[in-house]
Amino acid sequence: MKKLVTLTFITVLTALLTSCNTDATQNSGMSLIQKSDPDPIILDEKSEDKQKLVSSIKKDVAKFDELYDVAVVKGEEEILVAYKVKHMQRFHMVKIEGEINKMLEKKYPKENFIVSSDYKIFLEAVELNDKMKNPDFSEKDAKKKLEEIIELKKELT
Amino acid sequence: MGNKKPESKEVEQYKQFEKNFETKRPVFKNCLKAFLVGGFICMIGQAITYFYIYFFSFTEQTAGNPTVATMVFISMLLTGFGVYDRLGQFAGAGSAVPVTGFGNAVISAAIEHRTEGFVLGVGGNLFKLAGSVVLFGVFSAFVVALIKTILIKLGAI
Amino acid sequence: MLKGKQSWIFNNRPVIAATGVTGGPFEANGRLSSDFDVLFDDLWMAEDSYEKAHRHLLEVAANTAFEKEGVTADDVQFMIAGDLINQITPTSIAARQLKVPYLGIFGACSTSMEGLALASFFVNYGGGNYILTGATSHNAAVEKQFRYPTEYGGQKPPTAQWTVTGSGVALVKANEGKDSGKPVTTSATIGKVIDLGLTDPFNMGGAMSPAAADTILAHFKDLEIDPSYYDLIVTGDLGKIGHETTFGLLEKEGLPIKREQFKDCGMLIYHEDQPAQSGGSGAGCSATVLYGHLLNEMKKRVYKRILVVATGALLSPLTVQQNETIPCIAHAVSIEMNE
Repeated sequence: MKKLVTLTFITVLTALLTSCNTDATQNSGMSLIQKSDPDPIILDEKSEDKQKLVSSIKKDVAKFDELYDVAVVKGEEEILVAYKVKHMQRFHMVKIEGEINKMLEKKYPKENFIVSSDYKIFLEAVELNDKMKNPDFSEKDAKKKLEEIIELKKELT
Repeated sequence: MGNKKPESKEVEQYKQFEKNFETKRPVFKNCLKAFLVGGFICMIGQAITYFYIYFFSFTEQTAGNPTVATMVFISMLLTGFGVYDRLGQFAGAGSAVPVTGFGNAVISAAIEHRTEGFVLGVGGNLFKLAGSVVLFGVFSAFVVALIKTILIKLGAI
Repeated sequence: MLKGKQSWIFNNRPVIAATGVTGGPFEANGRLSSDFDVLFDDLWMAEDSYEKAHRHLLEVAANTAFEKEGVTADDVQFMIAGDLINQITPTSIAARQLKVPYLGIFGACSTSMEGLALASFFVNYGGGNYILTGATSHNAAVEKQFRYPTEYGGQKPPTAQWTVTGSGVALVKANEGKDSGKPVTTSATIGKVIDLGLTDPFNMGGAMSPAAADTILAHFKDLEIDPSYYDLIVTGDLGKIGHETTFGLLEKEGLPIKREQFKDCGMLIYHEDQPAQSGGSGAGCSATVLYGHLLNEMKKRVYKRILVVATGALLSPLTVQQNETIPCIAHAVSIEMNE
């Protein structure tokens, strides 16, 4: 019994020590559980056209019934589209990703898309959105962050 | 080995007779317990996966490896403290099938044969139980890969 | 003296002069903890391996018996003992320590009665004044050899049994006519190896039942007596399933045996709520229960005559893996109070 108490103590201590060590901010923290619906981000020259483009991409992707939260980030060369799939539809994730890819390529043949259903990518996109609200966070930093996200996505696919 | 002789009448009769006195395994109850405990272990695994996605730069796909390592580490602690074998008696397949059961098989053998020394004792007996899992796991993966390759070459897929 | 086909009668009534019984922590929590002479609260027993702890159990038990009788190892002519570990090394190494001329025997869990029958036979015919006999088992050491590692989380079926950690030894002495109030051995029946084709090493009770029934029937046939002669007929380590099966077999053969007079050491030793599944087993099971609990009860005159039938499953991990069936044996010794 004494051993069990020690064991629980160690586990709780480890959990406490590790969980305090985080830089996640308000919105992104909950985005795994709740719908966060982040605004599209543009890390390119800002123009009316671009604004329209990302909004319409977001709307088009959100039309899919199987998913419920879409984040779009427009970089200089590529557009990152991250989304969350409804729980019961997760078996069809590969199919859904294919359909989205096909739709996007057909509708926006000029753009270069990176599509991901990974929580982590979505989480990072929301986090980027949060950080952009901070005036100290420069455009350059944001671009670097996007590069990192894309790298993460390519790591194992 | 395996060349079963036809059983004599006496043996047949006794087997029938003995069956009447044997306590049956409570199959339904065991299944339920295995389902609950196995599910609980998997839930802990899922929590650890999210932990790695949130606080470290792992995506859903790459978080699997550290999660497995953590689960095996936890099962190592539980085995060493003498908790896991009791859990096993209660849960049966529920604690044997998840990766923690594999960890338990390896570590219990290591503890058991520690008194015979590190090289011939621990080293020689570490995979006494888990060795066949590793062997047949690798072998069946090989067979499946072989079949898939042949089918692709034939143009079936 | 040979009586019938396979039984001996000990006309000189060798005396069980003293006994020594040791046990481990699981037995200390059991039903019979007060009948143990020495109980260890740790499976390691301050040794650095379970095999050494196993040996230690026997050494302590033997020394306890010597002390009770007020003799030293020098006064003892022979030692007839065994255990379950490969080549019975723990007993042999303990014999090296005790420096008593030694006969190692193996009869799996029937070792205790095999030893007592042989010791009584020797003493009866003047083969020695004092003979030490006993059997030992250690849960962790035996499980390691026969089953899985102790900490492995495999599920044991309800037919499985729990190996007893313990050692029971008895000092058998020539009867000089001045040992009233002590138990004596009066007869013994040596059993045949019987195998009715069971292969499950987790259901040894069921496998051993035919051997137990065969020996009990042979005993009554050879001695031309019926079960009412004994206050208690006790089997070694059949467990719940084996106990019921054996009783069924005896009833089927028409032996007039009553349920109240038929017990099992494996069911006596632990509480119902201990996780021993079907009951206790192992060479130490019948040895500790007989030399501890049952002889104490006899001294309290609860029982006057008992028949102890120790059963053994003569299997090894090798034979199990090669799908051999389990050959089983049982030996019976009759013990009476010397009034």
